[in-house]
Amino acid sequence: MTNHSMSDSGTIRTRSELLKLLCEAAELEHGIACSYLYSAFSLKRDISEGGMTWEEQQKVRRWAAQLYFIASQEMLHLALVWNMTTAIGGTPYYLRPNFPQGTKYYPLNLPIELEPFGCRSLRRFILYEHPQQQSPSHDLKTLLKFEGDDEEEIAFGSVGELYGLIASGFRNLDEKELFIGSPPQQMTEDLVHFPDLVAVTGRSSALSAIEEITEQGEGRIHHRENSHFETFVGILKELLESGAGGPKFAPARSVMRNPSAGKERGYSANANPIDDPLAGEVAALFDSVYSLMLRMLAWSFEFDAAGAEQQLKSFCSAAIDLMPRVLLPLGEGLTLMPAGKKYPGKTAGAGFGLTRHTNLPPSGNNAYLLCRERFRELATTAERLLAEDLSNPARAGCLHLLEMADGFDVRVAGIGLGKYASAARRRGSHRGK
Amino acid sequence: MKEHDFDVVVVGAGVAGSMLAYRLAQTGARVLILEAGSRNPSRAQMVGKYATAFPKTPHSPYVERESDLKAPSPDGPADYYVQPDPATHTQYLSTYERRTGGSTWHWLGHTPRLLRSDFRMRKTYGKGAGFPAGFVDWPISYDDLEPWYCEAEKEMGVAGSDEEWNDLFDSPRSKPFPMSNIWPSYSDNWIAVRINGKLFDHIKYCVKSTPAARNSTTYDGRPACAGNSICVPLCPIGAKYDASVHVAKAKTAGASLREECVVTRLEKDKDGSVHRVNFVTFGGARETVTSEIVVIAAHAIETPKLLLMSGLANSSDTVGRYLMDHLSKSTFGIAPEPLFPFRGPPSTSGIESFRDGEFRKKQAGFRVSLNNDGWSRKGAPYTEIVESVMQKNLIGRELQAAVFKRVTRQIRLSCSVEVAPDPNNRVELSTLTDALGLPRPKITFTPPEYSYRGLLHANKTLGNIFKLIGATEIDLGKPRAYDGAGHIMGTCRMGNNAKSSVVDGHCRSHDHQNLFIVGSAVFPTVGSPNPTLTIAALALRAAHEIKRQLGNSGR
Repeated sequence: MTNHSMSDSGTIRTRSELLKLLCEAAELEHGIACSYLYSAFSLKRDISEGGMTWEEQQKVRRWAAQLYFIASQEMLHLALVWNMTTAIGGTPYYLRPNFPQGTKYYPLNLPIELEPFGCRSLRRFILYEHPQQQSPSHDLKTLLKFEGDDEEEIAFGSVGELYGLIASGFRNLDEKELFIGSPPQQMTEDLVHFPDLVAVTGRSSALSAIEEITEQGEGRIHHRENSHFETFVGILKELLESGAGGPKFAPARSVMRNPSAGKERGYSANANPIDDPLAGEVAALFDSVYSLMLRMLAWSFEFDAAGAEQQLKSFCSAAIDLMPRVLLPLGEGLTLMPAGKKYPGKTAGAGFGLTRHTNLPPSGNNAYLLCRERFRELATTAERLLAEDLSNPARAGCLHLLEMADGFDVRVAGIGLGKYASAARRRGSHRGK
Repeated sequence: MKEHDFDVVVVGAGVAGSMLAYRLAQTGARVLILEAGSRNPSRAQMVGKYATAFPKTPHSPYVERESDLKAPSPDGPADYYVQPDPATHTQYLSTYERRTGGSTWHWLGHTPRLLRSDFRMRKTYGKGAGFPAGFVDWPISYDDLEPWYCEAEKEMGVAGSDEEWNDLFDSPRSKPFPMSNIWPSYSDNWIAVRINGKLFDHIKYCVKSTPAARNSTTYDGRPACAGNSICVPLCPIGAKYDASVHVAKAKTAGASLREECVVTRLEKDKDGSVHRVNFVTFGGARETVTSEIVVIAAHAIETPKLLLMSGLANSSDTVGRYLMDHLSKSTFGIAPEPLFPFRGPPSTSGIESFRDGEFRKKQAGFRVSLNNDGWSRKGAPYTEIVESVMQKNLIGRELQAAVFKRVTRQIRLSCSVEVAPDPNNRVELSTLTDALGLPRPKITFTPPEYSYRGLLHANKTLGNIFKLIGATEIDLGKPRAYDGAGHIMGTCRMGNNAKSSVVDGHCRSHDHQNLFIVGSAVFPTVGSPNPTLTIAALALRAAHEIKRQLGNSGR
């Protein structure tokens, strides 16, 4: 069933090839997580929105919870990939092309898009997570061919296939030569609030991390019931059985596809710029916060923790707090705001635009100063937006951002910046483990 | 051998009964579960009932006219229980649910184990004068039960941290938790940073995530916890384990289930064995089934009630005695900065440091829970809204901001204090009856002074924690005031001596070799952990013994 290989040669022979594949994995995990989040943002929360009964609302809330949970596991996967990358001498890779990404960009043979919850998006999610080396079952093929969809042949590569190649690299390359990263550079649960984040210090831990990723995504043979794959299949079945799309049950808001945050911010050729000025500004704020969050996390994964634990912890803590307190309400809030005249009847969405900005510098002190200044700039924007007619979730996101900006000085200053300003240093060149 | 209708009849479809039925049905045994309560309306319908209920109580989602008449569930100290005048007597405050799945529908989901010393209270701490006479040692040890704890954790799906929980107070774990722990809440971490390592009364604070049968990842086909924050009274998405999981598994494995069948009497044969189970349906039909083995799994109040109604298993005169609970207490404070309660389960961490130590010679041990539900037990956020509107004349955005500022800083800390066994705390048959004409439970309960001393110490500890974190508006309540923990235990205690206990170490009646009692009724002592995991572990262990016994009888 797989027409495309994730590697040109199919065999990993060098560190460089392995690093390239890890960057590809980081891009994919990251992009897929955004796609899942966008789908979750689009789900209705309240019966007053119409299109669902009380019982249906409970189902929709569970779907949202399942999507958010899977997205959080994709974030864990990204963090594990970063640990693998730094363990062999690379740096955390957080860039990715903006949405939408066409079928040819990755060998998935599938697009990566931002689109509201529905049969079409679920089908894509199922195929991303489909077990490698296995043809879709007859039942699955039947399930995926729903009315209104094209009849294209199901031919795709899965994320699991990519990890199979990465694992082969870790197995084939000389362990002592490969693992040149500094062990204190590895991020673990003690430093960043990612449950199940394990240090990668050698072949065995790298393969364990890959196993954890693939098990969560695909499950194990004969034990797929708890995997992302089966969860998405289950949701799609429920959705089809419940008559979604019919006259009565409409679980998702009428959200536009692949938005970008305004006319002057068309990220990619096929993005749809939000036409409503206010929604565009909220979407731009979302992008800026999202970008700051990523830069803080990537900075924390890049440097040795030795001597800098407190700053790494506080940066990670602030970055992770931004997700539920600011990004989630802004993301959900956008789907309640009009997309503009160009998109009649549609609401806006978060474009997850990676806005142009510098990586945070090696100096702990300077990194802190840049973040503090950026928090203040974004808080000023949020304060201005609060005077406008925002949706309630977007308003909550702005309020939280103001609080976090106020608290950032306390959060970081309280740990004694002078002690770590010189301690955070670039990755060492340790050999072995 | 006389042929019976079933190999095993289980009375009660709660966690103990359903898990035991599942295990036995898997072996090919012919199993019938009789449940007094009814099948639930759908989970979504119950969430709806709870959303519109006023006031909101643990029973709110489960209100159902016919069940509440014919298999009533207590929802307070006096609506079903018959207790002495509250003006002059202390009350028993914990309640339970009579319906398919039992009280696990509205449990919190926490699954700490008993400690090694909890099984050996008399041997460990009982040398001095004044140690409560009711304390005894269990006939089994922590090591006997440990493999079954692991089995129970796997069956229920327990999320926990191996690092934090291995070898707590000399009580090691032989297997890892099935899932990694639920993320501690933001407030848990915030508090931990401020108190960990500090001493109170020579004991060091150490905040640990609490193991819970609440999925931290998709498990057993059920979704991960989504932080709906209403585990009590029910999980809207089934991420928290409830016994409906094992009721379904038991049925799939071949067990039969009959609901709305209230067992009224068990009958013994001339040889002392118990084979006949009489019950009445909601429709009024009176029926009897016979079984090789009879298991009562009807929690710690209905179980002794049924035994007393049947005149069985009570040669020791201990059926109904040694009723226990944990003395629970909620205390409140305002944090100096927002901690954002209600994001996540109602409680994700606690402090285990005070569960064991030499102090237990004189006073009870206790657990501390860090909670994530603000002041909801005091009516928040509604009370804050009313106060802001009525007293501060705030409306619109100002009202929103004021409520936001206050509710986000509310903290609740609570404790669960061990209750010492006392034969005078007991369940008897009242002369008052329910709609089926069956006696209501008459309850007498006075917390022993040993436990009050623990409660007072717990209160001081919570006050110290509030002080350490810089909280204001601290409300510790009246020192001797307590609430029910929902942990109904005792009443059919386990022991080696048939003259002073009801069942042996395998939960088998001393008086009737084919009668088993499972559930928290058999606990001779209770320590301070939530009891459900121990209930499940004992039930699985009993199932193993029943399988052996059935095998010996040629089944």
